[in-house]
Amino acid sequence: MDTAVRDKVKVEIEDLSFYYGDNKALKNVTVPLHDRKVTAFIGPSGCGKSTLLRVLNRIYELYPGQRAEGRVLIDGEDILHTRQDLNLLRARVGMVFQKPTPFPMTIWDNIAFGIRLYEKLPRSVLDGRVEDALQRAALWGEVKDKLKESGLSLSGGQQQRLCIARTVATQPEIILLDEPCSALDPISTAKIEELIDELVKDYTIVIVTHNMQQASRTSDYTAFMYLGEMIEFDVTEKIFTAPSNKRTESYITGRFG
Amino acid sequence: MANLALSPTAVPESKIAAIKRGSAGDARFRGMTFVAAFLVVVIFAGIMIALAIGAWPAIMEFGWSFLFSQKWNPVTEKFGALASIYGTLVTSFLAMLLAVPVGIGIAIFLTEICPRFLRRPIGIAIELLAGIPSIVYGIWGLFVFAPFFQSTVQPWLIEVFADIPWLQDLFAGPPYGIGIFTSSFILSIMILPFISAVTRDVFNTVPPTLKESAYAMGCTTWEVVWRVVLPFSRAGVVGGAMLALGRALGETMAVTFVIGNSHRIHESLFAPGTTISATIANEFTEAVGDLYHSSLIEAGLILFFISFVVLASAQIMLRALERRAGGMSG
Amino acid sequence: MKLNRMIYKGRKGRNAVFLTLSTLAAAFGIVWLALILYSLFYNGINGISLKVFTEMTPPPGEDGGLANAIFGSVAMSFLGVAAGTPIGLLAGTYLAEYGRYSWVSGVVRFINDILLSAPSILIGLFIYVIIVATTHRFSGWAGAAALTVLVIPVVVRTTENMLLLVPNGLREAAAALGAPRSAIIKAVTWRAARAGILTGVLLAVARISGETAPLLLTVLSNQFWSTDMGGPIASLPVMIYNFAMSPYEDWHKLAWAGALLITAAVLALSITARILESSKRS
Repeated sequence: MDTAVRDKVKVEIEDLSFYYGDNKALKNVTVPLHDRKVTAFIGPSGCGKSTLLRVLNRIYELYPGQRAEGRVLIDGEDILHTRQDLNLLRARVGMVFQKPTPFPMTIWDNIAFGIRLYEKLPRSVLDGRVEDALQRAALWGEVKDKLKESGLSLSGGQQQRLCIARTVATQPEIILLDEPCSALDPISTAKIEELIDELVKDYTIVIVTHNMQQASRTSDYTAFMYLGEMIEFDVTEKIFTAPSNKRTESYITGRFG
Repeated sequence: MANLALSPTAVPESKIAAIKRGSAGDARFRGMTFVAAFLVVVIFAGIMIALAIGAWPAIMEFGWSFLFSQKWNPVTEKFGALASIYGTLVTSFLAMLLAVPVGIGIAIFLTEICPRFLRRPIGIAIELLAGIPSIVYGIWGLFVFAPFFQSTVQPWLIEVFADIPWLQDLFAGPPYGIGIFTSSFILSIMILPFISAVTRDVFNTVPPTLKESAYAMGCTTWEVVWRVVLPFSRAGVVGGAMLALGRALGETMAVTFVIGNSHRIHESLFAPGTTISATIANEFTEAVGDLYHSSLIEAGLILFFISFVVLASAQIMLRALERRAGGMSG
Repeated sequence: MKLNRMIYKGRKGRNAVFLTLSTLAAAFGIVWLALILYSLFYNGINGISLKVFTEMTPPPGEDGGLANAIFGSVAMSFLGVAAGTPIGLLAGTYLAEYGRYSWVSGVVRFINDILLSAPSILIGLFIYVIIVATTHRFSGWAGAAALTVLVIPVVVRTTENMLLLVPNGLREAAAALGAPRSAIIKAVTWRAARAGILTGVLLAVARISGETAPLLLTVLSNQFWSTDMGGPIASLPVMIYNFAMSPYEDWHKLAWAGALLITAAVLALSITARILESSKRS
C-alpha cells in the first residue's frame, strides 16, 4: 500500500451498509477513493459494486425502501447526512450509466441541459461550453455538423460519449462510470478508455466494470468485492499481480464469476 | 445554510444559488401537480355532494318511498323512481345477457381462431367502433332498427310465444317497435365492441408459454381456452364485463330514443319503459318546479351509487389481474 | 400407446362445436356493427352538402344547414380540452412521478378510473347544480365546464400510462446531473412521452365530441348563430337529438348528416391517435 499513502484521499467510505428493503446488499464496506485517480470496482455480478456507486451520488433515493448506513466523506463531509442537498451532491458527483441515456432532444440541448441547470449564460458563451464539453469527450469532430439532430440518432458508442460530455459539462469533481462499456463494441470501448485516461487529469474517477482487462488497463487502484463485502483494495498492479487474498486470486484468474 | 454549503471552497456560490432556485421551483411544481391530482378527488366528491344537495328537497319529501313507488306525476308532484330503476337494471341485464357471451366469443375468435393477418385489422375495427358516440346507435335504433323490428320480428315473436305460459306475458302486447326489449338490444350492440376489446386485451395477458405448454400436451383449442386462458384471466374478464355494465347502466343517448319514456312497469319486454338516464334526458329541461327537478336529481344520485358500486368492483377485479400477470412475467 | 378413440372423438367434437360458436359470435357482432355503419353512411351522405357547413339550422320545412351547431361544438370542445388538458397532464404527472409510490396516488388512480367510466349524464347534473342553477342560465360556459370534467380523467390516465413507459434510466441520468425533479419532468420525461400524451388528448377530443347528455342539461340549444358563450348555444349532438325526435322529414335528414359528421370526426381523430402511437413505437 505504499503508493496509496502518497495520493490525497478525496472520498472516504467508512463502514457502509446498504439495504434494498430487508436485503442487505453492502456489508460494512470501508474503502478510500483517491483524488484525480481512477479507482475500479470489480467482482462477479450481484457483488454490490454498482450499488456502492449508486450510494456515492445517492441516486438510490429515487426509489422507496432503499437506504444506506455508515459514512461517506467527500472532502471530509458526510454526504449521507439527512440534511445533505441531493441536487448539490449530484452537481459535484456526476454519473454515466451502463446503457447510454441520451435525452430525447438535440445533441446541443443534451449538453446545454446540464449547464443551464446551474448557469444563465448568453447563447454564444453556451455554444463555447457545449463545444468544449464535446471536445473533452472526443466527440466534437463527429457531431459538429449535426448539433441540431436528435441525440438518439448517434451510434451506441457516440451516445455514451455524449453522456460523458454531458456530465463533464456540469463541471463535477467526481465522475462515476457504471459499466460504461458493457453495451459497446471493442472500438467504442477503446475510445472510452482513452477518454478516461484524459479525464483523470482533472477528475476523480470511479469505474465499475465486469471486464478485468479494462480494470487493469484504466485504473490506478482496484477494489475487489464479493457478496456485498470488500475483499481487497490496493493499487491495481498489486491486485492483478500479487493479490493477498485467495478469493481475489481465483476471481482474477477466472476460476469463478 | 451550513447543510447546503457542503464544501463552500469546492462549489462556487453561483452554483449553490442556482440549486436553491431549482429546489424552490421544484416545490412549486410539485405543489401544482399535487393540486391537480387532488382536483380529481374534489371533482368526484363534488359530484356526490352536488347531487345530494340537489336531491335534498325530494329526499325530505318522499323519503324511502321514492325508491319503491312507480308513481311519477308532475301535475300532483308525486314522484317515485321505481320504474326508472327497474328499467335501468332490466335493460342493462338483458344487454349483458347478449353482449357478454358474444363479446367473449369475438375475443376468442380474435385471439385463437382468426387467421393471423386478419387479427390486427379486425381488432382495430372493433376498437374504433367502441369509440363511436352513442347517439349514433340511438338514431340508428330509432330510424332503422325499431321500424324493422316492429314490422317483422316482433309480431312473429308475439305469435310464437302466444300459447306458452310465462313467456306469453314476457313477449306480449302490441308491437310498438320501441320499448325495453329494443333498448336492451341497442345497448348490447353498443357495448359489444367495448367488451370484445377489453376481453381480447385480458386474454393477451395470458403468458404464451402457458398456452403453448397446454397445446404441447395435445389439448384442443377449446380445452386451452376453457382450462387455461379463462381460469387465468377470469378476474379480468369479469372486471371488463363490469366496466361494460357500468357503461350500460348510465348510457343515455342509445336508450332515450327507443325506450318510450313510460313510468309504468309492464310485465312485457315489448312495452315501453324508461331508465334513470332516459328520464333525466327527456324531462330535465322541461321540468317545472323545484320538487320535479329535485326528484330527477335524486334519480341521478341513485344512478351514481349503482354505477359506483359496479365500477369500483370492476377496478378491484382488473387490479387483481394486473398483479397476477405482473407476478407471472416478473 | 393406446388411444381411447371414444374420448378422443368426444374432445374433437366439443372443440368443433366451440370453434363454430365463437366464429358465429364474431360474425353476428360484426354484421350488426357493419349494418349500423352502412345505414349511417347511406342516410348521412344524403344530407351532406355545402349548405350543411354554411347555413344555420332551419325551421321545419325550410332549407338549411348545421353551421351554428358545428361552431358551438367546436368552440365548447376546444374550451373543454384547453382547460382539461393542463389539469389532466399535471395530475397524471403527479401519479407517475412525484406520487408513484405513495398511497395518495392509489386513491387518486382509483377515483380517476371511476370518473373515466362514470355516466356522463351525471356530469351534466353536477354542472347544472353548481353552475346553471347558481347563475340561473344555461350557457356555453357551463357546457365547456362539463366537457372539461369529461376530458380530465382521459388525459390523467394516458399521461400516467405514458410516463410509466419512460425508462427509469432516463430519470436517473437527469437526476445524476443534479437536475431537480421538476426539470427532469419538464425537459426529459414529458418530452420522451410526448407522442403518447398527445394521443391521449386526441382520444379525449374524440370522447367529448359526441357527448350529448351533459350538454342537454347545461347548454340547451339555439336555433340561431350565436358566439355568446354566456347563453344557450347550438351544438351538433343536441341538434341531432332534437331533430331526430321531431316529426319532420327534413330535420331527420339533417340529424343523419350531423351523426355522420361526428362519426367521421371521431374516427379521424382515433385513427390519427393510433398512427401517432404506432409511429412512436417503431
